[in-house]
Amino acid sequence: MLGFLIGEAVRDLRRAGRVAVSAVVLITLSLAALGGFWLLSLNLERAVARWRERVRVIVYLKREPAPSEAKALVERVREVPGVAGVLYISKTDALVSLKQLLGKDASVVAQLPANPLPASLEVTPAAAAATPEGARALLERLSALPEADEVAGSVDWVERLSQWQRLLTTIGLGIGVVLAVAALLTVTTATTLILHARRQETEIMRLVGASEMTIRLPLLLQGMLQGLTGAVIALAALVATHSVVAPRLEPLVNITLDLPQLAFLSPINVLALVLAGALLGGLGGWLARAKA
Amino acid sequence: MPAMIEVVRVWKVYSVGPVKVPALSDVCLRITKGEFVVLTGPSGAGKTTLLRLLYRDDLPTEGDIQVLGYDLGRLRQGEVAALRRSIGVVFQDAKLLPVRTVYENVAFVLRVLGTPRREITQRVFDALRVVGLSSRAQAYPAQLSQGEAQRASLARAIVRKPPLLLADEPTGNLDQAMEAEILDVLRDIWAGGTTVVLATHRADLARMLRRRTITLGSGRVVKDEG
Ligand SMILES: Nc1ncnc2c1ncn2[C@@H]1O[C@H](COP(=O)(O)OP(=O)(O)O)[C@@H](O)[C@H]1O
Ligand SMILES: [Mg+2]
Repeated sequence: MLGFLIGEAVRDLRRAGRVAVSAVVLITLSLAALGGFWLLSLNLERAVARWRERVRVIVYLKREPAPSEAKALVERVREVPGVAGVLYISKTDALVSLKQLLGKDASVVAQLPANPLPASLEVTPAAAAATPEGARALLERLSALPEADEVAGSVDWVERLSQWQRLLTTIGLGIGVVLAVAALLTVTTATTLILHARRQETEIMRLVGASEMTIRLPLLLQGMLQGLTGAVIALAALVATHSVVAPRLEPLVNITLDLPQLAFLSPINVLALVLAGALLGGLGGWLARAKA
Repeated sequence: MPAMIEVVRVWKVYSVGPVKVPALSDVCLRITKGEFVVLTGPSGAGKTTLLRLLYRDDLPTEGDIQVLGYDLGRLRQGEVAALRRSIGVVFQDAKLLPVRTVYENVAFVLRVLGTPRREITQRVFDALRVVGLSSRAQAYPAQLSQGEAQRASLARAIVRKPPLLLADEPTGNLDQAMEAEILDVLRDIWAGGTTVVLATHRADLARMLRRRTITLGSGRVVKDEG
C-alpha cells in the first residue's frame, strides 16, 4: 500500500513538472539561506563562548598582603556576586610573568632596584556577569573592595560580538522565513496543479470506496517529497560551500576571532533542516488540499 | 428474499437558482438480491438521479433509502466508502485513466483498497476474462474501441466482486454490435450472482432484455413489471 501511495506521489510530481521544479528550487533556496546563516551564527557563537571564557578582570591591590591574608582575600572575593573564579598573583608572580613576556629583553627587569609590579587578583566573571550591565556591576563591586587600588577589564566588546551574532541569526531567520513562505506558496500551487491533474483518479477512488486517507496521502507525500528533495540539495550545497570556503577563511578567523576551525552544522542541525524541508513541503501539499 | 435496495417515498428536488426542479417525486421501490432490473424512461425522467442516490453520491431531499443494509441517510464518511466498496458502478463514458493500461486501470481499484500485490494479478485477469478483454490487458485506453473501453470499465467495476452493479446508460456511446456485447457481459455478471440495475432511456432495449422493468416518468414510477 505504501509503495502504491509513494508511486502515485512520484507520478503526480512528474505531472506537475516545471512548477514542482520551481517549488523544489525555492525550498532549496530557503533552506540554504537558513542553513548558511545558521552556520555563520553557530561559528560566531563558538567564538563568543571562547572569548567569554577568557575574559578576566584584574584587581590591582594597594599593597601586597601576607600569604594568609591573601588566602582570606581570595575567599572573600570568590563570594562576590558575578565572580566565577579568583587567582591571586603576588608581586613575584607578576614579575616572573613579565620576564617571560619580555624573553631575551628580560635583563632590563634585573636592572630595577625594586619590583614595581603590584600584587593583583585575576577574576573570572561568571557567565551571568558577561552582559554589559552585569559586567559594570561586577567592576563596581570589585572597586569597592578596600584592598583594591584599580580595577581593569571589560566585557563590552565580547557582548558586542554576541550582539552581532544575534543580529545575524535574526537576519538569517528573516530571509529564511520569507523564502520559506514563497516556497510554501509554490508547493501549494504545484499541488493544486496536481490536484487538477489527479481529479480523474480522485473521482475513481471516491467511486470505488477508497478511504479519505488513501485519497489524500499521495498529496501530502508529493509535497513532502518536494520538501525533502529541496532539503537534500540545500544541504549538499552547504557542504560543498563549507568545504571550499572554510579552509580559505580559517586563517583569517583564526587571527581575528581566535577561532581555529569553522565548524559545519551538527547532525541535529542537519536533521532539523531536513525535517523543516519535509514539513514545508507537506504543509504546502496539505494547504492545497484545503483550498481544493 | 431480503431486500438489497429499499427506496421509500423518496423525493429529490434540485434548486436551480430560485427554481425548484423535482427530479424524483415520491419514489418507492424494492429490489431483492439476485435480480436483474432495467430502469427505463425518457431522458430527464430521473434515472441517473436515482442511481446516484443508490451509491450515495447524493442524498434525497426526503425519504429513506436502504442499500445492502446501510441506511444511506445516516452514513459517516467511512461508511460511505464501505458502501461504495460493495457497489460497482459504470457510466455511459468509461472513465478510464488515460495514462494507464487496461490492466493498470483495473488493478488501480485493488491497489487503492490495499489488496495484497500477489492477489491483484489473479483478480484483474479474472475480471478481464469475464468481460472478454484478457488479450487487451496491456493496451492504453486510446487504443481501445468504445466497446472495449466500456468492457474495461465493467471489469474495473466488478474486480472486487461487488454484490451490486449499477450501470447508467452503459451502451449509450456504442453501436449495435458493441451494445449486444455489453449486454451479454452484464448478463454473465448477473448469472454469476451479482444484482444488476441497468438504466437506459431505450424502451426497445428494455423489452428485448425481458427482465423486470421499472419505468420512470417525470420523476415518478409509472410502471413496474416483469
Ligand atoms: N445536478 C442537477 N442540478 C439540477 N438539476 C438536475 C441535476 N441533475 C439532474 N437534474 C434534473 O433532474 C431531472 C432528472 O435528471 P436525470 O436524473 O439526469 O434524468 P435521466 O438520467 O433519466 O435522463 C432533469 O430534469 C434534470 O435536468
Ligand atoms: Mg441519465
